[in-house]
Amino acid sequence: METVGFLLDGIFTSLQWFNLALLIFGCLIGLFVGAMPGLGSVNGVAILIPITFIIPPTAAIIFLAAVYYGAMYGGAISSVMLGIPGASTAVATVFDGRPLAVKGEAMTALTAAAVGSFVGGTVSVILFTLFAPPLAEVALRFNAPETFALMVMAFATFVGLGGDDVPKTIFSILIGLALSTIGLDLITGKPRLIFFNIPGFLHGINFLVLAIGIYGIGEMLWTLEETKGKVQMSKLSVNMKEVGRAFGALKKTIMAMNIGSFLGFFVGILPAAGATPASLMSYGITKQLSKNSKEFGEGVPAGVVAPECANNSASTGSMLPMLTLGIPGSPTTAILLGGMILWGLTPGPLLFTQEPEFVWGLIGSLYIANFFTLVLNIALIPAFLMVLRIPFAILAPVIFVLCVTGGYAPTQSLHDVWLMLLFGFAGYILRKLDYPVAPAVLSIVLGPLAEKALRQSLILSDGSMGIFFDVSEKPIAAVIMYIAIVLLIMPAFGPLYRRLFKKKQTA
Amino acid sequence: MSITNKITVKRAEIAVAVILALCSIALMIKSAENRITWNAEENMGAGFLPFYLSLGMLICTILTIIKFVLKRSPQSKDDSPFIDAVAFKFIAVTIISLVVLVLAIGYLGIYFSLIFFLAFYLRYFSEKRISFITIFAITTPILTFLFFEWMLKIPLPQGVSEPLFYPVYDFMYGGFSFAVKMIFIILTVLLPTALVFLTSRFIK
Repeated sequence: METVGFLLDGIFTSLQWFNLALLIFGCLIGLFVGAMPGLGSVNGVAILIPITFIIPPTAAIIFLAAVYYGAMYGGAISSVMLGIPGASTAVATVFDGRPLAVKGEAMTALTAAAVGSFVGGTVSVILFTLFAPPLAEVALRFNAPETFALMVMAFATFVGLGGDDVPKTIFSILIGLALSTIGLDLITGKPRLIFFNIPGFLHGINFLVLAIGIYGIGEMLWTLEETKGKVQMSKLSVNMKEVGRAFGALKKTIMAMNIGSFLGFFVGILPAAGATPASLMSYGITKQLSKNSKEFGEGVPAGVVAPECANNSASTGSMLPMLTLGIPGSPTTAILLGGMILWGLTPGPLLFTQEPEFVWGLIGSLYIANFFTLVLNIALIPAFLMVLRIPFAILAPVIFVLCVTGGYAPTQSLHDVWLMLLFGFAGYILRKLDYPVAPAVLSIVLGPLAEKALRQSLILSDGSMGIFFDVSEKPIAAVIMYIAIVLLIMPAFGPLYRRLFKKKQTA
Repeated sequence: MSITNKITVKRAEIAVAVILALCSIALMIKSAENRITWNAEENMGAGFLPFYLSLGMLICTILTIIKFVLKRSPQSKDDSPFIDAVAFKFIAVTIISLVVLVLAIGYLGIYFSLIFFLAFYLRYFSEKRISFITIFAITTPILTFLFFEWMLKIPLPQGVSEPLFYPVYDFMYGGFSFAVKMIFIILTVLLPTALVFLTSRFIK
């Protein structure tokens, strides 16, 4: 019952006029960002975080969560209309959304996407409300060793489940961690890695510099290369009759909604996974379980609902470990977590007792944001189509202006802007060669926290690493650590398993 | 054969791996400026973590190079160009103009640099008319100014153009009423737009 009280408080917090205005504004920006090809929630949140420094943390998180949320809805718009995913999270939406648009049923696809998003969002936020408080209670008993073990597990999931080239993934994690050690050592106070004695390195590298570099500049370069500044759009007729018919078509998609909502939520919780794999998995499973699985790919509403449901559900799911454990569940929540530190909060279970307004304001706002985004999404479809006609050559410089000002504003030094350009360019080149960039962003955010937890644990244990592996002494830390080790060595067994399996087949 | 055809994915992969390996070694050397040892008696040296993290990076790049030599990675067999010629022009011009922009910010200040950056970028890549580009290039910095300096109270770099902004600050923090300030904001955005619009009419 206590939860219900907190939740009502949270909903009222998010309905205060200032928060509500930011929420609606955030939803709109999110829809816009999601709809633009090449920009997704992570880009929107990374570029916009510097402007949240002057508002209270609760309003800031409500705004950014609304952007995150809106982007999950918006991604479908360009997937359907342009055949280009608006964000990586909407890749699976193209599979059936685009064929529907080609058949002239774009409105059905867009409505299915919006309603699917709404269902996924609502189911997941209810699951979130149920799971978060007990998980936070368990996490309250965590000390430095458990925290460090959790962070190791977060890194290990990228290696075990990320699916990218293993040495490249580990490289990405390590470079993020190494970048996070730049600046003053927190225990000895000695300066570390001050390249060419440039004083700008003394205050360390703000995670935002890397995040805006990679997700702002790098992403724009990537999209400029892909689209060469131009886009092609399919036709759409909007009238209420179409919307009504689209709602009728949704009756057959209940199974897709169930799969998307529940699968999305639990995949979203895993640190390496996030919304993109959730939506792909949800599409795949729905297709396999469907009676008419052969029609998938030719334009069925269920093929749009399944991934859209899952990506919204996963985005809420990925906030669960962020709030309760202080471990982000997706690149976007990694940036939100970094934001929480900048706003002066300590991410982790203590938030539930020390900052209930912040936590419950966020949870409450998810309920409200869900409703508003659905309404705005369907009502503003014509407006978004106009936005999609903006050539990339005009949008790109605007994003660059936002990146440069956003990179400068937090520390007010041009040094950071130069670094941001460097990271943007390097990130673009590395991404072209299949180096995953998300682990680097996650690890530069978690780096300082992980180092603190590691060194505190080692002080507790008089310098023995055994503290992380002793099941009788620290059972939770040890179990998490062993899971992490399994995840780390899992890719090594992949080829072996495949080879054995192949031999059996040929034999 | 153009340059973009010569830079194949294969060549880029090995070049990048070697550069990253060299960077990792440089990081290790740099970390060793602090104590890199750690044992039960003394605390962890300040260089310990960066040193072993960069050692790990070096090992990863060596593995990437080994995979390349053994032709185990998809990139090691890919002879297609790393980037096609049209995209290369987009990327190169974008990067150069961004570097010039940041250089100019240090000297000219952000607002005037943005005008030149936007004007150049739009003129080069978009097929919009000059009147549109001019309006766009002037109003964007004005909006940036209003947003950062007025709403957020975050000063952006102004370089040598700083004295030009003193009267604006006097006005912003002077004792004018909210309504007067709002009218001023609307005018600052509308006036240049109207001016450009009118001049473009007359020139035609």
